[in-house]
Amino acid sequence: MSQDSYRPSFNISRVDASVAQPVRLFFASAFLWLMLASILSVITAIQLKDVSFLGGCSLTTYGRLKALEGNLFAYGWVTNALFGLNLWLMSSLTRFEFKNAWLANVGGVVWNLTLTYGAIQIIMGNMNGLSLLEMPKEVAVASFVGFLFAALWPVVAFSRRPTGHVYVSQWYILGSTFVFPIIFALTQLLVLWCPAQGVLQALVHSWFHQNFYLLWFASSAIAAVYYFIPKESGRTVSAYYLSSVGFWTFFLVASWTSPATLLGSPLPLWVQSAGVVAAILMLIPLVILAINFLGTLSWNRGISQSWNNTTLRFVLVAIFALILWGALFATFSTRGLNAVIRFTSFNTGLEHLLTYSFVSFVIFGATYFILPKVTGISWLSSKLVHLHFWSCAIGTVSLLIITLLGGWQQGSGLRADWPSVIFPSVLLLIGHIAFGINAFGMLTAKLSSGHESTHA
Amino acid sequence: MTDQHHSPDQPRRPSAGDSHSVSDSRLVEAHSHLARDKEEPKEGFSLLPIIVVFIFCGFGFWAGLYLTRNAAGFSPSAFDLSAPREVASDGPKAFEPDLAKGEKLFLQQCASCHQANGLGVPGAFPPLANSAWATGSEDRIIKIILAGIAGEMEVNGMKYNGNMPNIGAGLKDAQVANIVSYVRSAWGNQAEAVMDTKVAEVRKAIGSRGQYSPKEILEQHPLEAK
Amino acid sequence: MKNIKLIFAGVLFTLSASFIGILLSGRVQLGSLGRAPAEEGGPLFPLREPGLAIQGRQVYISLGCVACHTQQVRPASQGSDIAKGYGPRHSVARDYVLQSSVLLGSQRIGPDLANYGARVSSENEIHAHLRSPKAGSAMPSYDFLYTTGKDGAKVPTEKATALVAYLKSLKIDYSSPEAKLNQ
Ligand code: HEC
Ligand code: HEC
Repeated sequence: MSQDSYRPSFNISRVDASVAQPVRLFFASAFLWLMLASILSVITAIQLKDVSFLGGCSLTTYGRLKALEGNLFAYGWVTNALFGLNLWLMSSLTRFEFKNAWLANVGGVVWNLTLTYGAIQIIMGNMNGLSLLEMPKEVAVASFVGFLFAALWPVVAFSRRPTGHVYVSQWYILGSTFVFPIIFALTQLLVLWCPAQGVLQALVHSWFHQNFYLLWFASSAIAAVYYFIPKESGRTVSAYYLSSVGFWTFFLVASWTSPATLLGSPLPLWVQSAGVVAAILMLIPLVILAINFLGTLSWNRGISQSWNNTTLRFVLVAIFALILWGALFATFSTRGLNAVIRFTSFNTGLEHLLTYSFVSFVIFGATYFILPKVTGISWLSSKLVHLHFWSCAIGTVSLLIITLLGGWQQGSGLRADWPSVIFPSVLLLIGHIAFGINAFGMLTAKLSSGHESTHA
Repeated sequence: MTDQHHSPDQPRRPSAGDSHSVSDSRLVEAHSHLARDKEEPKEGFSLLPIIVVFIFCGFGFWAGLYLTRNAAGFSPSAFDLSAPREVASDGPKAFEPDLAKGEKLFLQQCASCHQANGLGVPGAFPPLANSAWATGSEDRIIKIILAGIAGEMEVNGMKYNGNMPNIGAGLKDAQVANIVSYVRSAWGNQAEAVMDTKVAEVRKAIGSRGQYSPKEILEQHPLEAK
Repeated sequence: MKNIKLIFAGVLFTLSASFIGILLSGRVQLGSLGRAPAEEGGPLFPLREPGLAIQGRQVYISLGCVACHTQQVRPASQGSDIAKGYGPRHSVARDYVLQSSVLLGSQRIGPDLANYGARVSSENEIHAHLRSPKAGSAMPSYDFLYTTGKDGAKVPTEKATALVAYLKSLKIDYSSPEAKLNQ
């Protein structure tokens, strides 16, 4: 069995080499979309304060740029990165060597081309009015095919794996890979192709949204956390036997939470109440995750030690973000509190907490681990790594404070305007540029650079 | 896989730099042993499974409770938690008087006094069968049921001086309508059925008040000639 | 849990539980909802949208107005929408039965528009607002929907006309069986 990857040399292991090409493709396209999305988020943040900024023509009007930003972030950045992350992680865990990984490249190309086409359509105004489903319906067909080719490889690796043992990360990857095509196809069908009647559309849409965020984004990210914690700390996961309970409760409850995002809307009360119950039951899997993750890390000053490891540092922030998200989501899904924060920037904050502070931070951490393995080169500059971490960490925390507190104030009538997130958006953009320079340096460099490790 | 898998209770110091201490296959294997044995090396965790089960049960219990309290009977037309529940009907749909339900309610609510055959108890409880009080004006019988009646009255040539409580106050409009419709069609009575909206109307008009006296109610709705 | 089929079946089960539990049963309850009269024998509400308004909805979608505006009034027990004057009553499922795409929205950077058509006095007022919203507010100007006519006056394009017709058609000022107006 190949043990290459654990020597401090930069030989690419056979397993890693077999997926290196598609993983690099996925990460490279993810980083490009991330750049675009973060530029757009700065622009839209400015537009909220200065309406005349890029406001004179329909192509750059706030509504379209905002929709574009959301789509590029979700389908461009996170989804591409998860393609790469899931593929790499699964092949590492199963020690499965791919023969036909180029098929994943085809999937990646199709996915990104359709996304580009969809993005252009949004800018042109040919879009739908439901967030993350804005791209015209024809695009979805191609995306779907692209997804199947890009994302189903972990399933192949798993079912043909040479080793018999199974690790919790693998369940989460398989789960998320199964979920995405099902919810995507059903939702497209019920909202765009043969629309359900009236408010049912909104219900289906929220079902998609929650499943997409929790069972595709978060589930894949959880898989990665489960991997990196024991991997980088050298400890087995504490209370590991709870992890399968956590997995099933997570999947069972998460997809019921959708109506909790629609409290007070014209949906029957019982639907809303089911959502409230689910939002609170989400605490069960989240507590299990917290026990697993923090239990492992808190061993023997593990937390302060993980701070010295780039990957774990990102992952640590991510874990706290996930826990905070669960607590806030459950608390603010109760009817009384939800009445205050609904429709305010508080919800933007919650969404950011889950998709950025948790999921994206896991991806960043994972990238610092994976890219050297699939390129054979170490990170170019540790200064940029620090800049990336601090800029994004401060950015995300300040964005959370601004949107959560601001949303609360809005809801309780203490302020009328929408809180401005220009400052955190710029910080995030700076962080992403630092990250991008480093990452593209690696992705484009010849395989000859020095052996000096720059792991911060 | 010849290497000993490291014992989980001996944490290894994460090695500095880029070398990674655990190989993937060992990581997977060690955990799959953990999952199989379900044995945790650390003492403090042994209570955890029980606590977890308890917490789960508590959550499940709460969830059921919350749902039954906040689902407005799973009605498709309830959107407002604080709204009165009755409004939740499917619009101005015609109410169908249900005689079977009416009979059942009658047996529960009225038969103890007026008897199941509607003949009452001579001298104590007046009959409903063939009673002009029951078959005439809708308003009158509804008012009697909603507010009750006490005092001297004459029914089918027999004098009564009894006391009927305000039974209808605790019943829903539709229930009262079903009872009245039943009474007006049973035991040879032949009078029109009554709608729930009518009951609601009367209930609103009389508000909350004490029992009627036969005199008062006859002033408002004199007995029809037979 | 080594069996991929088991994991797949389990995940499928969890997904279909929520699919059936909320989406399908929601559909069973609401799928055949139709229009209803506000009083016995009266006209059916919601009213059919004029053709121009249907085109206007498309403009509304394509300019992304939904990013800042919601179209739903919450019940008094669930927030202060009614107190804020967003509508005389809360929205109910029946209000949306005719809409081909439902734009409930989730963020209120601007006010709720569910009953805007009943609030606003004239079409000119809407045109004026679209061209120059309140100074200092976050609402962008949609001046690009207007051309300058021969006499220098602003002329609405087809899109602007349709959009205004749509905004004018947004009303929940009628009684619905599920939510009566307070007389
Ligand atoms: C506690 C015993 C009692 C119950 C229960 C009761 N009633 Fe009566 N009811 C009486 C008495 C006593 C009178 C006569 C009152 C009087 O003398 O002033 C009466 C009078 C009436 C009358 C007017 C006289 C007549 O016989 O037509 C009607 C109608 C009537 N009841 C209907 C009902 C109905 C319907 C119910 C069930 C919902 C009901 N009652 C339940 C005791 C009762
Ligand atoms: C960047 C967010 C934003 C976008 C995008 C936006 N609006 Fe607004 N809108 C606002 C704000 C803030 C107000 C309140 C200030 C004002 O009246 O100008 C408002 C007010 C309104 C009003 C007046 C509401 C009332 O009750 O008086 C209407 C009508 C309106 N917007 C329609 C639209 C339409 C149509 C679009 C799309 C073409 C749109 N808005 C896009 C933010 C936005």
